[in-house]
Amino acid sequence: MTPPPVAPVGTIHDLGYKRYAGSRRSAGKRWLVVMRNQISSSWKTWWRFKSALALAVLTTFIAGGVMFILSDQVVRNFAGAAASTMADAALPKSIQWYTRAGFLVSLTIGARLVAGDLQSGAFTFYFARSVRPRDYVIGKLMGMVVLMSMISMAGPLVLALSRLGLAQDFDQFLAILPLVPKAITMGLLGTLVFATVPVAFSSLISNVRYAMALWAAYYLVFGWIVSLLGRKTRSWIGVLDLSTSLDAIALDLFDLRLFRGRAGHLDATEALISVLVHVGVAILIVGYQVRRAHGAGVGGSS
Amino acid sequence: MTALIALSNLTKRYGNIVAIDRLDAKVDGKIIGLLGPNGAGKSTLLKSLLGIIPYEGGAQVLGLEARTHGAEIRDRVGYMPEQEAFLSGMSAVEMCTYAAELSGLPHTEAKQRAHAALYYAGLEEKRYQPIDGYSTGMKQRVKLAQALVHDPEILFLDEPTNGLDPRSRDEMLALIEELPQRRGCAIVLSTHLLPDVERVCDHAMIMHHGKLRFSGSIDELRGERGRDTEILVEVKADAAALAAILVEAGATCHLVSPVSVAVSLPATATNELVFRRAREAGLQIRGIGERRESVEAAFLRVIGDAPAKEATP
Repeated sequence: MTPPPVAPVGTIHDLGYKRYAGSRRSAGKRWLVVMRNQISSSWKTWWRFKSALALAVLTTFIAGGVMFILSDQVVRNFAGAAASTMADAALPKSIQWYTRAGFLVSLTIGARLVAGDLQSGAFTFYFARSVRPRDYVIGKLMGMVVLMSMISMAGPLVLALSRLGLAQDFDQFLAILPLVPKAITMGLLGTLVFATVPVAFSSLISNVRYAMALWAAYYLVFGWIVSLLGRKTRSWIGVLDLSTSLDAIALDLFDLRLFRGRAGHLDATEALISVLVHVGVAILIVGYQVRRAHGAGVGGSS
Repeated sequence: MTALIALSNLTKRYGNIVAIDRLDAKVDGKIIGLLGPNGAGKSTLLKSLLGIIPYEGGAQVLGLEARTHGAEIRDRVGYMPEQEAFLSGMSAVEMCTYAAELSGLPHTEAKQRAHAALYYAGLEEKRYQPIDGYSTGMKQRVKLAQALVHDPEILFLDEPTNGLDPRSRDEMLALIEELPQRRGCAIVLSTHLLPDVERVCDHAMIMHHGKLRFSGSIDELRGERGRDTEILVEVKADAAALAAILVEAGATCHLVSPVSVAVSLPATATNELVFRRAREAGLQIRGIGERRESVEAAFLRVIGDAPAKEATP
């Protein structure tokens, strides 16, 4: 009888080891790996993403319910003027709730994004591999865009489609069909704002808590101050408040100017410009900061 | 044959500060120690070799110029940083899988290799736990695994035994020592700890003030004592008398003990000179052998009298 083969001592961990000879993902597509990791790590915990997603889903259910049950009820503004039916007002009025959910995610994920990597030394992890700064920036921002679109875009789109489903005839269906691109536009703007601006703040400080505090202060405190100043002086300065600007654009887009409230004095075009400038500047800041950190990111200082 | 690392007039300046100054070397070997005091330019050299920072001159790794082929080099090189470089909230398996994917491996392959690399590094069941709660030794193992996971041809290890207790240090050095044979990769070990180099390295590069003071094998480093060769001569008695007559013959001697003397013979002399002079003086020699210099002593010598002995590539 042949004795069973005995493995040489110390080889157990290397059984089957062979050098990898297969193809590798091209360098231009490595941002997809960064994006996927960004999404999966955000999905892990309840408080970072799922709680805000729950708020967005709840908003959709409530607005959808109101749209369905109270569809013919007339909605009046503060002055008592008839402005719209509940079916038409439910979607635009729900936008501010999606904005709130978006802000929550921007605080728990966006404002931590680059600061967390700076704080933990993860830049070394990334840039000692064939990840370029632009792969990192695109991957992180696209990950945020996907997450934020679940909050800011999916809900309004569902509501717009629900509204189409409530159309009484084909003519009405055609008349309210533009709700869909409008909902997508608002979703896209909300997504862009919350996927980029907090990340820019996060790239400025290598401390997660301070980055979160800075973004919250900008959005809430600075926003409230400029919004107040804008109302008092009836000037454009109020568009620097991102929340009010998004409100102004939504109500203008959905022809509900009578509901404008604190966004009443704002010009929608100026608000749109403010939003786009915020997004553009934020992307530039993130790109610059990451590129700057990249050079010093590996191996410590010499 | 292509050298692992080839430097030609490599210079890196930060403003007016010259971090590395006209390095010329061709480096080969299985485990190469990159030695130098703080500020010697070791990290800058590693950054240059990884293609992370711009530089003047040439720096080739595996035959690829780092300036233009940085990404390709980084796919073929693994880097274990000195400082912590972890992603918060991730387990070791997740981080190593992610690392392999960032280096271009498909997801399934990346996951398999992550498990294999962590097993190799000795993490076993702990690999599923978040890294945030790991001890220093475990973190060092994860750093080694993430550097290995994409199957690199060269590993750059920056102070891999920093902060480890003696047992963990010993285990880490054993892992490093085995790597070239078991994984077929070369290693560049950047460290301050000269006993580590003495134990595992077969080649060394010594840097000081941005200059390369030595590049060659460890044996060459120990043997590079100018034109002299040092031997240890043991006598039955009166080593001082032997020292005196050898000094007359042109040797340099210093007493190690009453019965032993370290002798540096003139370049033209052989051990025969020692025997002959001892016989003439009536002294009995009990033993004679090569006196090996420790890497630490060689290092101190190289950086200490460096202006007189510039390294030759």
